[in-house]
Amino acid sequence: MTDLWFALPVGVQDAAIALALLLPALGIGAVALRGFRVGPLLRALLRRQAWISVVFTALIAVSVALGAALIAQERGLREGTARAAEKFDLVVAAPGSEITAMLAAVYLQPADVPLVDGETYAEIVAHPRAELVAPIGFGDSWQDAPVIGTTADFAAYLSGRLAEGRLFARPYEAVAGARVDLSVGETFQPAHGHGDAAQEGMHDVDYEVVGRMPMTGSPWDRALLVPIESVWEVHVLPNGHGPDWDRVPGPPFDPAHFPGTPAVLVKADSLGGTYVMQAAFTDGETMAFFPGTILARLHALMGDIREVMSILAVITQVLVTAGVLAGLTMLTRLLARRLALLRALGAPRRFVFALTWSYATTLIVLGAAIGLGLGIAATGAMSAAITARTDILVEARLGWREVHLVAGFVSLTAALALLPAWLTMNRPVMSDLRG
Amino acid sequence: MPGAALEIEGLSVRGARGRALLDVPRFAVAAGTALAVRGPSGAGKSTFLHALAGLVPAAAGAVRWDGEDIAALPEPARAAFRRRRVGFVFQEHLLFEELSAPENAAIAALYGPRAGRDAVHGRGRDRLAELGLDPGETRRSDTYSGGERQRIAVARALATDPAILLADEPTASLDRANADRLADELVRLAHEEGRTLVAVSHDPALHAVADRVIDLADGRITEDAAP
Ligand SMILES: Nc1ncnc2c1ncn2[C@@H]1O[C@H](COP(=O)(O)OP(=O)(O)OP(=O)(O)O)[C@@H](O)[C@H]1O
Ligand SMILES: [Mg+2]
Repeated sequence: MTDLWFALPVGVQDAAIALALLLPALGIGAVALRGFRVGPLLRALLRRQAWISVVFTALIAVSVALGAALIAQERGLREGTARAAEKFDLVVAAPGSEITAMLAAVYLQPADVPLVDGETYAEIVAHPRAELVAPIGFGDSWQDAPVIGTTADFAAYLSGRLAEGRLFARPYEAVAGARVDLSVGETFQPAHGHGDAAQEGMHDVDYEVVGRMPMTGSPWDRALLVPIESVWEVHVLPNGHGPDWDRVPGPPFDPAHFPGTPAVLVKADSLGGTYVMQAAFTDGETMAFFPGTILARLHALMGDIREVMSILAVITQVLVTAGVLAGLTMLTRLLARRLALLRALGAPRRFVFALTWSYATTLIVLGAAIGLGLGIAATGAMSAAITARTDILVEARLGWREVHLVAGFVSLTAALALLPAWLTMNRPVMSDLRG
Repeated sequence: MPGAALEIEGLSVRGARGRALLDVPRFAVAAGTALAVRGPSGAGKSTFLHALAGLVPAAAGAVRWDGEDIAALPEPARAAFRRRRVGFVFQEHLLFEELSAPENAAIAALYGPRAGRDAVHGRGRDRLAELGLDPGETRRSDTYSGGERQRIAVARALATDPAILLADEPTASLDRANADRLADELVRLAHEEGRTLVAVSHDPALHAVADRVIDLADGRITEDAAP
């Protein structure tokens, strides 16, 4: 039996769970409504209490949206940050905070970090398991786009195939990220610094865009990639090569003329090689770390927060449900005269029960459905905002977890709605009829 | 339609703080009788009808319809009795305002047995037409005039083909011609179709055509006579 279950595709399992969660509500409905036609009176009640019904539905919708959005958003963020770090196997930096180094190297959030010197850089390059080693250089920007110095090989590795043009082959050529508003052939002059602190006109050089990267879903989409040598030159530093350099950018660099790099981006020959290199460069002089591992640790931390958020979402939901039930109980009091009339005419108590229950459940189901839609819209908007600010592509889609949450909510509240329904069933007919 | 015979014994209905609302030591009505009930306001006429329908609990005594004491039944069984045997016209009509006239007339189709639903709809429409209302109208019943609403309430009471018809001031909101027509029709339902009619009314026209008229005062039957 369990084997059979695990043999099912995940989508089928998820759909089955959602159905199973809805089953109690459907079951209650089938039993409660059996033999009755509540439709016309249900519509009459909804119309009679139109405003209250709308407010209740909205209340439920907002709480459901909140729960669904929290979950979808958290997942989208986790997937997005992981995707952005995918290409970064190993980062070697001067000892310090791994997170700061990772934020700088992977997510292009520069900070003042100590530099790795030329000797160490040469050691990393010389390591037998190293396949691709690249320095990184920050400091300048063009409009909102950071100008990042690195090597053409790394740019090629990061982008896969270029969307357009070619890689840089001379010091003042650039490859633009997919979200940078520059096309091949255009030129730009970098400003010193970033954002509001950027100073225009400090660097009297022009870069020419020779290629454009495809979308990577990472902050590198907003970056302008240029040869690291040009970044060094612009900042009046040694350019990484001896005096007889042929001005073709890229390795090998001369340790004696290497101004230092805040982080060294490394790709080893294999997963095993990555571990070997990580061990080799974790010593007093450097630290080597896997961005993926750091992220996983962060996510694990966020996982705890996620649990807390899920519990909060459930608590909110339960509180809203309790509020809705209290409201429904009062609402059914407003309906007491109509319900008493039905019983005076001879309607079975179970009919009054079915009518009240379906009234409550209609509001619940409607609210949950609207809430799910609202949740998706809210996550979409939040994701877009995060993507716009961080350039980490956050895609928040409706997932099964949210569907399960909502299905569980519907069943739970539908079951709880039996309570006010049961209360109406036992009210005195004549005194209610007098109103 | 086989009518139902009524037999009351030692009936006492009490209101709040034990106030005596109704005291009927002995009273009987043969099946198929058209009975009119009259009396001053507050005499207990509505209470009497409610007691006959099992809508108010009896402090003591028995209300037997065809031998079955409904005062002794639990509430769900009394509801079932009303559903199966009683058509009730309330003094205040009490319609579902949001529903149309035909929907109100056929309200019992929503909760009654599936097999009888079409018949309830059919009778509801027929009764509306007989009472001079258009059974095809879809507007809300609260847009109808008082007299029209009263007639919708009568149609609703008759849609289930009840053996017992309890009507509280059924002609009160009607003009003379309509009141006379309805009074004749109600009595005809008793005489030709054998239903037992108990109609509370101030309307002399109804008293004139009824088989029997009783007077209520202070919850007691003070007069009982053929007109
Ligand atoms: N639950 C109750 N508790 C106390 N008094 C009640 C209760 N129900 C009715 N009464 C009183 O009993 C009396 C009879 O009421 P009922 O409605 O039967 O009068 P009625 O004869 O139908 O009068 P009308 O012609 O005005 O409709 C009234 O005085 C009313 O106030
Ligand atoms: Mg009355």
